Amino acid sequence: MIQTFAFYLFAVLLIASAVLVITSRNPVHAVLWLIVAFFNGAGLMVLVGAEFIAALLVIVYVGAVAVLFLFVVMMLDIDFAELRAGFIRHFPLGVLIALVLLAEIVLGVGAYRAGALELGAAGVAAEPIAGRSNIDNIGALLYTRYLFLFESAGLILLVAMIGAIVLTHRERPGSHKTHQNIDRQVRRRPQDATVMTRPDVGQGVEL
Amino acid sequence: MTRTFMDWGLSYEWAWGLATIAGILLIALPLMLAVAMIIYVDRKVWAAMALRRGPNVVGPFGLLQSFADGLKVFLQETIIPSAANKGLFLIAPIITFTVALAAWAVVPFNSGAVLADINIGLLYILAISSLGVYGVVISGWASNSKYPFFSAMRAAAQMISYEVSIGFILVCVVLYAGTFNMNGIIEAQRGHGLGIVNAYAFNLLLFPIWVMFLISSLAETARAPFDLTEAESELVAGYQTEYSSMSFALFWLGEYANVLLMCALNAILFFGGWLPPLDWAPLYLVPGWIWLFAKIFAFFFIFSWVKATVPRYRYDQLMRLGWKVFLPLSLLFVVLVSGWLMVTRYERSPHTALCPSLDNAELAARGAAPQGSPCVRENLT
Amino acid sequence: MNLTASLSLIAPELVLSASSLILLLMAAWMGDRHTQTISWLAALALAAATILAVPALSGGASGLSSEAFGGQFRADAYAAFAKILIYIAAIASILVAPAFFERLRAMRAEYPVLIVLATIGMSIMVSANDLMTLYIGLELNSLASYVLAAFLRNETRSAEAGLKYFVLGALASGILLFGMSLLYGFTGTTNFAGIESALGGGAQTGALFGLIFVLAGLAFKISAVPFHMWTPDVYEGAPTPVTLFFASAPKVAAVTLTARVALEAFGGQVEAWRQIVVFAALASIVVGALGAIGQTNLKRLLAYSSINNVGFLLIGLAAASLAGVAAMLAYLVVYVAMTLGSFVALLLLQDRTGEPLETLGDIAGLSSRSPGVAWSLLVLMFSLAGIPPLMGFWAKFVVFRAAVEADLLLLAVIGIAASVIGAFYYIKVVKVMFFDEPADREVAAAGGVNWAILIAAVLFISPLGYLLTGWLGTLANTAASALFIAA
Repeated sequence: MIQTFAFYLFAVLLIASAVLVITSRNPVHAVLWLIVAFFNGAGLMVLVGAEFIAALLVIVYVGAVAVLFLFVVMMLDIDFAELRAGFIRHFPLGVLIALVLLAEIVLGVGAYRAGALELGAAGVAAEPIAGRSNIDNIGALLYTRYLFLFESAGLILLVAMIGAIVLTHRERPGSHKTHQNIDRQVRRRPQDATVMTRPDVGQGVEL
Repeated sequence: MTRTFMDWGLSYEWAWGLATIAGILLIALPLMLAVAMIIYVDRKVWAAMALRRGPNVVGPFGLLQSFADGLKVFLQETIIPSAANKGLFLIAPIITFTVALAAWAVVPFNSGAVLADINIGLLYILAISSLGVYGVVISGWASNSKYPFFSAMRAAAQMISYEVSIGFILVCVVLYAGTFNMNGIIEAQRGHGLGIVNAYAFNLLLFPIWVMFLISSLAETARAPFDLTEAESELVAGYQTEYSSMSFALFWLGEYANVLLMCALNAILFFGGWLPPLDWAPLYLVPGWIWLFAKIFAFFFIFSWVKATVPRYRYDQLMRLGWKVFLPLSLLFVVLVSGWLMVTRYERSPHTALCPSLDNAELAARGAAPQGSPCVRENLT
Repeated sequence: MNLTASLSLIAPELVLSASSLILLLMAAWMGDRHTQTISWLAALALAAATILAVPALSGGASGLSSEAFGGQFRADAYAAFAKILIYIAAIASILVAPAFFERLRAMRAEYPVLIVLATIGMSIMVSANDLMTLYIGLELNSLASYVLAAFLRNETRSAEAGLKYFVLGALASGILLFGMSLLYGFTGTTNFAGIESALGGGAQTGALFGLIFVLAGLAFKISAVPFHMWTPDVYEGAPTPVTLFFASAPKVAAVTLTARVALEAFGGQVEAWRQIVVFAALASIVVGALGAIGQTNLKRLLAYSSINNVGFLLIGLAAASLAGVAAMLAYLVVYVAMTLGSFVALLLLQDRTGEPLETLGDIAGLSSRSPGVAWSLLVLMFSLAGIPPLMGFWAKFVVFRAAVEADLLLLAVIGIAASVIGAFYYIKVVKVMFFDEPADREVAAAGGVNWAILIAAVLFISPLGYLLTGWLGTLANTAASALFIAA
């Protein structure tokens, strides 16, 4: 009973917030609704027993990706009215694409038993080992069967990192902030910096 | 607790619901009380280090000072700036407060005394604490004011930066414990240090990790010396600038609840949580939660101590510490810890671990997906 | 098949991955001053990978024993053939780069590293035996390519090329992924062999949709019409060494990958995809030929020429026979040689200040100013046009022969007609170089490495290259048969 209730709660909230993402006028609100959508998605994941995926969804998407979205959207002065200016002009194309995708979905839903879905069929499924959490199971799969793909995906992320640095990093010679030498600052002693003197009256200090 | 309620003749679902609500209240209400007192402690410690007397008027030794402050704030008028985004402006402190409380659901106070004994406890904490930033960011944006906005930007960047290294730090602990469950992590620490000390911090590999975690938790809760989000000399009061009355109080409560949570995490992950410090029978006579509270208090003292003595970091220094020092160091330690565990704990080296699930003939026989993964190396502990 | 055996099958990729990481560290610590060293080391690593790939070329491992990681990866003769070609093209694009970038003071040590990483991606693509492997390889290659296109980040054109490539590439990846998800849904597996056996002879509508989307996504990567729009802009905007890279290696990878997907995963649906491939082939030949006519920028012209060539490559695929695939592979070899030669010749053309000569007007009367480059370009252009004594003719000939053998007579006839149209603009370039009034810009050709590559390419496509046809044909046959044994 609780599961059913929770499912409908999460599902309705998920769809509602997803709709609000595309309809809200304010981009910041759109991102916030997106976060709500992610969150409800995580809730659904918990319901199907994929608690690890749920946690990842929250940590990665809600905790990091969406924060960056928000960060960018807040900084940019996005005028949605301007963005929507071409709406009428591109409407037919949009409808066409939407229709194609709708046809796909209908096809997919209508024939969801068409193929022999090996992962879904009984007997051949990669069943979770009894008594193991799905963290263990996912880890076991990732590091054995999908080892090659997993490591290659790591290379992709590395390329993304290199790319970001190559395209944006600029050396700024002479900037103090980037060339602060903390070791030197810490090593500096009072006697290196200050001198105690007792000047005579009328003599002043000689430096 | 569910069992008790079921003994009263309730169905399982009702008993579960009641037990959960009771558990929430049992954690949240004392937590609020603790926050009030810990604010008092904070001010007292700070005062003592500055050779002042601190709060000493309201109640004996000024013990009721926080309650007086709370009452004052409660009676104030809630001011909403006219240019603010009203809905978000009000929701922000609620988010901060709720999130700060929600994280306590998986904190074990004694063997079995935990509201939700889930197997991804640590991930849950990580997930929830990553939500904390939204309270700050939303309040900063919704205030529609310069300084709160700066503060929000700083908070977003800061929390993301430190979460990365905290993640790696937690991975080290999890590798050692072999579980994400909080009670499991605590149990794994029993007699960890030479068979006597119940703490991971006495492991040569994990001690540096703990130091990093302590510093990162200061940054994650935006405590001094990393309190750039509310640096009063630069940003008035940061994201709280426009807040007053209860909404301000909610921020305050949430913030200190978070600080206590981080102290609790330090205690649980590295100092044995509710286990006594030494694996010695007489010490187990003292209830577990007393040990946990003592440890939390000790860590809070460290937090206050740091706040009283360490000057605030500059923003670029904060970022550099996060990305250029902690991130590579914590990564290095993930490699070191897993390498060490590979050699000492798991018999087979990676080269001889031939994976049956990679067997072609077998794959062909079973179709594409093998059943489970038989080649998981067993944890030998 | 255990881990050790799997690892030995991916030896070239392992060498490249390890060396890319080491080179990246070197780039980070030693800075941009040591770019030369890092470039040479990267070329060395690629050469080592080439040598490691050679044993598989003659069909060393085949069938199940060439499968690594439970069938996700296949190191057969077909993959080895493509890999060697890719590695050679990558070596060339690394070696020609320093001279080009140094003039702009934009040489960064990350350039060779990114090329190596992109090469790993292509290596994975050509060995992909699973939709997931395919996607991972494709993305690895694409991401590195986006960055490379925008490598001259201070130049608007380069940045624009990078952005355009990125946005359209991301769209193509989306389409591809969508098709893959449909295929997975309808067949229940991502393995090529598994898909083939699940689809059997016929195919449901949903799976057909998946097939179309996958082919569309791949068509973008090989810039076949109608997914070619990005090609001229990106080729023009990207730095010339990067364009050289784009026009050679990723083409090889994407074309061979497409052939593998079409023949292994959709081996039972030849009739279904043949019409798509035939259409794309004809459209590419015609659009490439017509589009090139109006171009004055040489890089744009070569971009259209590459679209045109992709059409001929697809004819080989459309034959869907062993001879067709072998012809396609042979064409790829000649195409890579011609592309490398043309772009290197372009790199050699610069005036006294080092400003590159990129337009038709710049090369007017080149024969009197820089006869070496002019004669090389003459050979290259005639070969691209498919004029008999040169290798370009042989390549076209084997492709058309395969098409005729597969009863695609009409396709062959239209293709031949279109290639005559195409010959027009190649010959126009020659005419401008040899018969127009010399432009007043001086030509200062420089760069020993560039000359070496140019001479090698020209020698290969010259009639001398016919000495190699027998050997090349055997290799291509062995490689192509790997595809058909497994299927």
